[in-house]
Amino acid sequence: MTGLNLQKVFRPVKTELKPPKYKLMTEAQLEEATRKATEEAKEKLRMPPVLDEREPIDDILAEDKFLEGTETTKYVFTDLTYSIPHRERFIVVREPSGVLRKASWEERDRMIQIFFPKEGRRVIPPVIFKDEHLVTVFQQDRHEDILNMCIAQFEPDSPDYIRVHHRTYDDIEKHAKYDLLRSTRHFGGMVWYLVNRKKTDGLLIDMLHRDLLDDATSLITLYHMLYPECQSAKEAKEGKLQGVGLIKVFVKTESQKEGYIQLALQAYQEAMATSTAL
Amino acid sequence: MVQLASRLLKSYRGGHVVIRFALGGCTNRPFFRIVAAHSKRARDGKYLEQLGCLDPLPNAHGEKVAGLNLERLRHWLGCGAQLSRPAEKLLGLAGFLPLHPMTVTGAERLRRRAQGAAAPPTGSSGGPDEAS
Repeated sequence: MTGLNLQKVFRPVKTELKPPKYKLMTEAQLEEATRKATEEAKEKLRMPPVLDEREPIDDILAEDKFLEGTETTKYVFTDLTYSIPHRERFIVVREPSGVLRKASWEERDRMIQIFFPKEGRRVIPPVIFKDEHLVTVFQQDRHEDILNMCIAQFEPDSPDYIRVHHRTYDDIEKHAKYDLLRSTRHFGGMVWYLVNRKKTDGLLIDMLHRDLLDDATSLITLYHMLYPECQSAKEAKEGKLQGVGLIKVFVKTESQKEGYIQLALQAYQEAMATSTAL
Repeated sequence: MVQLASRLLKSYRGGHVVIRFALGGCTNRPFFRIVAAHSKRARDGKYLEQLGCLDPLPNAHGEKVAGLNLERLRHWLGCGAQLSRPAEKLLGLAGFLPLHPMTVTGAERLRRRAQGAAAPPTGSSGGPDEAS
């Protein structure tokens, strides 16, 4: 008679909700608290490093041909000295052919995780980072979660980290889901990737739709800083344009989706006009 | 109570510090700890310091994982510790010490045995045929 509702039996368990604590504060204390909160938020929003892909290691330390045939498996030796940074640790592999070589980056990461485990990192990278499974993640709109997992699992200069990040940014740009990353620490990385590949149009349109003129101008200034020889940069420097003028110049020279951006600009200016009139 | 503590501490006559393997793990699953201990102590007994470990069974990637705390190893070698033969062979394989001569000799013996196993079967199969 109890009935079996699987949805209810296996629903996700919420952690203990603590009742909200109320503090009585003066104006000054409230300002102090908000200031501390903004500082902590800025700390959390700091961009993770964007690095180039690391070069593969292949360095042979010794070749002992007469050891061939004695062993069937390779030996991996890790230096467990506590005070060396992980980048300088000696991790060495003795192959069954007798060759003593430095370990590759994947072997290094695995060994360091075995002996000096870091929270949130698995020894063997989870299957979710493979391309076919990333598609499922993107369909569920969980870009931020997968990027956080990627930062925990991989080193910033590993090819897997870079590949996952590029896939995420491409998917966001294809479906114009910029808002998913808006107040996270991944937004800076995404903007850098798009500006480097000159795919800034979608982002610009999104910003204009949300009436973020300052963000749009900073995006275009960043673009000019990276490509100072382009036409719009030169015109902007000559005319010392600001705000809407800058965007108009940029749209005329650089963008592919000119029509859309002009429309968005017009809508924004009408909205500004009506709000100032009111 | 100080007299009790000094009675509890084991005191040996002679003996020296060795760096050797201490066997641990379960049935059919060995696991060695590379350990600096007094030579008179039990193999798995109280040691001075653990300097690393060795997993003799290969893992999913086909590697035998070994860790060595080289800094402490150098300290104990500086204090005058001796090494057991398997420890010397392991450090030779790792490249920390030069290769142990027994490793080389073992390799040669294996090769000679393999050649001996390969050559006489061809010789012995030819013999009875010729005889018949």
